[in-house]
Amino acid sequence: MSPFIEIISAPDNIAIVMMILMVIFFTVWAFLQAFRNDAMRRKGERIEGEGDGKTDSWKPLVRIEFVIALIVFIGLTFWSLVVDAPLEELASPTLTPNPAKAPWYFLGLQEMLVYFDPWIAGVVLPTLIIIGLIAIPYIDNNPKGNGYYTFAERKWAILIFCFGFLALWILLIVIGVFFRGPGWLWFWPWEAWDHHRVIYEGTTDLTNLVGIDSRSGLGFFIGGGLVTFYYALGMLLPYLYWKKRNSEFLKDLGVLPYVTISFLFWTMLALPIKMFLRLVLLVKYVWVTPWFNI
Amino acid sequence: MKQKSSYTPLLFAFLSLLLLGLTFWVIWKDEVQLRPWKSYQQEYKELKGKKLQEEYDRAKKEFDSNGNARKLESLQAKLKAEEDFFNSREVQEKYKKLRGQLDIIGSSLAQNQKKLQETRGRFLEAEYLYIRDQKEHDKKVMQRLQGGIEELKKSRDALLERKKGIEENIDELTGDAEAIRAEIMSLHKGLDEKLAAIKSNERTSPEIGQIHISDVGKADRCISCHAGIESSYRLSEKQPFTRHPASFVFLENHPVSEYGCTFCHHGQGRATTSPDKAHGWVDHWTEPMLRGSMTQSSCISCHGDIEGLRGAEFISKGSKLIKKYGCYGCHMIPGYEKLREIGPVLAEVGTKVNYSWAVNWLQDPKTYYEAARMPKFFFSQEEAESITDYLFSMTGTTRHDTLYTDDDIDWDLAEKGKAIWRQSRCNICHTTNGKGGNHTEIHAPDLTKVGSKVTKEWLFNWIRDPKKYFPETKMPRYRFNDQELAALVEYVVSEFQDWDFEPGYEEPVPIKAESIEKGKALVEKYGCFGCHKLKGMEEMQDIAPQLRSAGVNVAGGETSEKIGAELSSIGSKPVELLDFGKMKDSIPHDRLSYVKQKLRDPRSYRDDLRMPDYRLSEEEIGPVASVLLGFTDVSLPVRFIIPSYAEIEELEGESDRHILSGDFEKLEADVKCLNCHKIGNHGYNYAPDLAIAGSKLQEGWVRKFLKQPDIIRPMLKQMPRFNLDKQDGMIQGNLADSEIETVMKFFRSDLVSDDIPVSLPELVDNGAVDRVLEGKRLYDKKGCVACHQIGNAGGSVGPNLSFVGDRLTAGFVFKYLEDPQRYNPENVEPNLGLTERERVYLTRYLMSLKQEE
Amino acid sequence: MSMLDRIKKSVIWKSIFRRDYKNTPRNRALAIFGNIFMHLHPVKVRESALKLRFTWGMGGISLFSFIILTVTGFLLMFYYHPSVEKAYWDIKDLEFQVPYGIFLRNLHRWAGHFMVIVVWLHMFRVFMTGSYKSPRQFNWAIGVILLVLTMLLSFTGYLLPWDQLGYWAIVVGTNMAAGTPLLGFEGPFSEYLGITPYNDVRFAILGGSTVGGNALLRSYVWHCVVLPLVAVVLMAVHFWRVRKDGGISGPHS
Repeated sequence: MSPFIEIISAPDNIAIVMMILMVIFFTVWAFLQAFRNDAMRRKGERIEGEGDGKTDSWKPLVRIEFVIALIVFIGLTFWSLVVDAPLEELASPTLTPNPAKAPWYFLGLQEMLVYFDPWIAGVVLPTLIIIGLIAIPYIDNNPKGNGYYTFAERKWAILIFCFGFLALWILLIVIGVFFRGPGWLWFWPWEAWDHHRVIYEGTTDLTNLVGIDSRSGLGFFIGGGLVTFYYALGMLLPYLYWKKRNSEFLKDLGVLPYVTISFLFWTMLALPIKMFLRLVLLVKYVWVTPWFNI
Repeated sequence: MKQKSSYTPLLFAFLSLLLLGLTFWVIWKDEVQLRPWKSYQQEYKELKGKKLQEEYDRAKKEFDSNGNARKLESLQAKLKAEEDFFNSREVQEKYKKLRGQLDIIGSSLAQNQKKLQETRGRFLEAEYLYIRDQKEHDKKVMQRLQGGIEELKKSRDALLERKKGIEENIDELTGDAEAIRAEIMSLHKGLDEKLAAIKSNERTSPEIGQIHISDVGKADRCISCHAGIESSYRLSEKQPFTRHPASFVFLENHPVSEYGCTFCHHGQGRATTSPDKAHGWVDHWTEPMLRGSMTQSSCISCHGDIEGLRGAEFISKGSKLIKKYGCYGCHMIPGYEKLREIGPVLAEVGTKVNYSWAVNWLQDPKTYYEAARMPKFFFSQEEAESITDYLFSMTGTTRHDTLYTDDDIDWDLAEKGKAIWRQSRCNICHTTNGKGGNHTEIHAPDLTKVGSKVTKEWLFNWIRDPKKYFPETKMPRYRFNDQELAALVEYVVSEFQDWDFEPGYEEPVPIKAESIEKGKALVEKYGCFGCHKLKGMEEMQDIAPQLRSAGVNVAGGETSEKIGAELSSIGSKPVELLDFGKMKDSIPHDRLSYVKQKLRDPRSYRDDLRMPDYRLSEEEIGPVASVLLGFTDVSLPVRFIIPSYAEIEELEGESDRHILSGDFEKLEADVKCLNCHKIGNHGYNYAPDLAIAGSKLQEGWVRKFLKQPDIIRPMLKQMPRFNLDKQDGMIQGNLADSEIETVMKFFRSDLVSDDIPVSLPELVDNGAVDRVLEGKRLYDKKGCVACHQIGNAGGSVGPNLSFVGDRLTAGFVFKYLEDPQRYNPENVEPNLGLTERERVYLTRYLMSLKQEE
Repeated sequence: MSMLDRIKKSVIWKSIFRRDYKNTPRNRALAIFGNIFMHLHPVKVRESALKLRFTWGMGGISLFSFIILTVTGFLLMFYYHPSVEKAYWDIKDLEFQVPYGIFLRNLHRWAGHFMVIVVWLHMFRVFMTGSYKSPRQFNWAIGVILLVLTMLLSFTGYLLPWDQLGYWAIVVGTNMAAGTPLLGFEGPFSEYLGITPYNDVRFAILGGSTVGGNALLRSYVWHCVVLPLVAVVLMAVHFWRVRKDGGISGPHS
């Protein structure tokens, strides 16, 4: 178990352990409040904050702020007293550490590099994440659930967001920090990091699985077709489904926001799909073109 | 929010107290916990204070006991009398009057000074105007002011004169009081200084000490704790208060204020917060502190030549070992690039040795000779045979052995050969049966069993002209005729037989072609050409075979690489890049442990490694490792670098051998004078240094010696004879007359020192002193006899001086007596500090010691 | 008249405090809008907005972390030279030489990490309560930008100690930029624009084709000047919009 303790107690990683605990705690807390509110709504009771009065900022609000600031400051002071910030050897451009890891908050992106080329993992996906986050208020046209915890009233929004935040961001960071060792190979916490470990994974491209060379013209078209179909069907099928059901949701949304939301959603889902292809079927690329590979 | 107010004050109080506590913790941590040097300095200060107090007490006691106290008392009584006189009313009245006058003069002087300044200022202004406008008016003003200045100066001088007079009057009144006070002061001075030292020690408060060397980017704060490292006091044997050991070598030449500490010792000189951090025993600090002999690694960063460097004995040993085992044959090691391969040429080895011997030797050289330099490659019987087949195939087509039995030996001839063997002093370099080989740095092969190893024919040809077989050999060419050679060979073969030798190929057996191929591949793989010249593999020596076979385009030697790892910056190689392989859990992960283990068991890290086993002892491993770890990629400013002799010679455009010239060079190449003698930085220290032989030795003596080197020395210190007389086999001459002329010419032209006078200085003698007798008297008086022998009397530490007058020149003796370490810093003779007169007398005496004709 | 009263009646005291401390509604309101530091608050807040279980206090903690980082960062700047030769040794000296230097650096680093976590949780909470919904859409967008800024602040600060950890983290991070489509030399289609390692987006970020002295200086300027300034401006907008969009959200509206 000692490798595990060593990794956990690395000065920078203490922050990440703290993050894990905080994320778990607050997730549970948020959902507990959401379920309680839902239950009260079902019973027709008022949830907290409905029709409440106003009070002075001075002093109740200021007092709370002050206490919290005090607690935070005490915590940070204690942390700074007990743990020293890391300082490794003088930077040396010729001596690459193995593994060379990005700052912990970007390790999710670095982990994505296993599944996508840098232009997707490092540029396109982060950009889409930012755009997607900013777009949330404009594409989520559900008027309910504004200003209180609830699950029942906005199931899909919460599920998708939690999946993105918890599984595709936090979890990938945790993997990047604790489970990736030399050569970006997977090491369980109880395994010592062996710098000379070699694992050969004979990765291949998707079309090669069915015997078509991904670099051939046919492979190019099949790969491109798969990617296009993925997005086209992903957009079209729910659209048709909702259209048939004459969904209010779709009507309120409009076509353009629908295309945006669905593009972002399927791009997000592309990550776990690619992870599955890469880890289980050892597929490196779905679509190989002379310019880029996906 | 009413409900909250009941507990919030408590919460506030609690949090405030917590924060207060943490604040105290922060302060305590920064003032105490992270500043351990404060308490160290405090402790050191107390130790030093105690020592100073002791010294003061001792001095006080001495002061009291040696009559100084009584002297002080009497002085004080005198002073009292003087003061009483001065304080009497009458005197005081006079004194006050005089003082009053003095004050008046003082103020007049001040006024005068002010006026003078004013007038000078106006004068300068007028001068400026005059120069600018050339107006007569200004000139007049100048003249007037000049007159004023002269006036003022005059009145000033008058005032000063008066002042002096009054001061003299005052001095009369005060009498000797001032002088007595000064005497008391001087009597007390020693004690007062000691007291002042105690006080100033008490006043010191802890502060960080730092030595900053800006061009190296070092800031060493080691002295913050090691306060007494340079001290003249030995206050404590406890760290960090000790003094630097052998500071007369290390600190004298590398003052702490210029070099700091980490220059040599490494460690994290900036760290002040804990001993572990300061000494670099922490993660992420790649240069932990070096201690003891290992510190000598650092000498290499600046010193080009480490062999013979004072205080660098450990690495000096390592360097000699690297040369002995020829590590540079397979590894690129800076400073050793130009040395020759240590092993003999193998091109014609098939004509030299027995096949069975070679196979056995390849498998384990130590079974033939325990102290063999050839390492063990762990070859199987089959592999050894393949390699031998390959080597033999260069000169023949068969595996063959030659065995000499008693019947093959001409015993009379061998008896003659024995005499020649002894006269030739073969045992100076070669060992036989554990004897001889006194000249350890030549590394000549052991001859105990050579009769079972080589053929007579080869041996005959070899001694006749060693360079023909092995151009770079150190073996001198003896000038024997064929009969003498035959006799010597007969003796060697008959005397030095291996009785356990079992030849397998007395009947030659043809060599198989596939075995040759296999042997060649093995030779290439293990890089035999690192130490041995091999036909067709000359260029491979520098280029790793694996590079070539991998198709790497090696252009013009740019990326030439030896078969072993390059060691030119092994001392900086990151530990992460060292492959501990199978040993990763067995030894500590640091550079020193890695290199030591590699030397101890070269193939222990992985199975496929190629480095052979030299079977080094632990006493050899340490020095070699410390030399290797001294090769770092640290580049120091040029002001620190002391280039090696070789580098200087190269800079001056002189080739390695340029110190020798003309005919002498040829002669030297033949008989190898520099195998034993040293000239400048070349040669060995086995026989006397010849650097100033031309000034030091008398020509007549040199001639006689070269003809017949019969100086009384132990056998194996005697110069060998290279010639035997052709007439009757009796020993009569050594070098030919023409050769002696060559030597003399070279001595006169190249081996002279300008500061050795040709004759002794002339002394103006008072009276007719017999200088020789006076010299003899000095010889006895100064105790020279304790070490030197004249006739039968005297010690044997220094050379025998019985006939020194025949051998040395007077100028040399005279100069040598002035400073015995001048020509050889390692000389043990003490410097007696003789005067010029004494040296002349002594020289005269010594020069009179001649062999009676 | 006691000394204290006299002081309290003085012109100077009145000019500073403008009011007495009696607990009246007017004074409670004045305490907020009569004080530059307090006037970001509304005078009145909803009771539910005071519930920690609702807000988790994450926004305020982010601001407080930012203040700690500003103060400690400001002090650290006194002891730091953004040059390849000096940076690393300045950090070493911070530990070994500067009074309270190691504490300052620890506080700065841990507060930095802490702020990143807190900002994420703040976003998580705002999403979970649906507080980005009308009329707060725009403020959410500002918040997202602030979150990105927070990570960029941390990222640019990572390089400053000039040690292996920071150096290679930045190398790995910025190497991704080389893959930018069109503008990165390893990115798709860049060859049609004549993009090389010497004119691509990575070069612009680093001021060179490798992480070197220029990159260090750029990091320093972004970290200490540009990003904090932008963050402060956006924070002001963010807080102002919180109030203008109806205060902390709740189920009432």
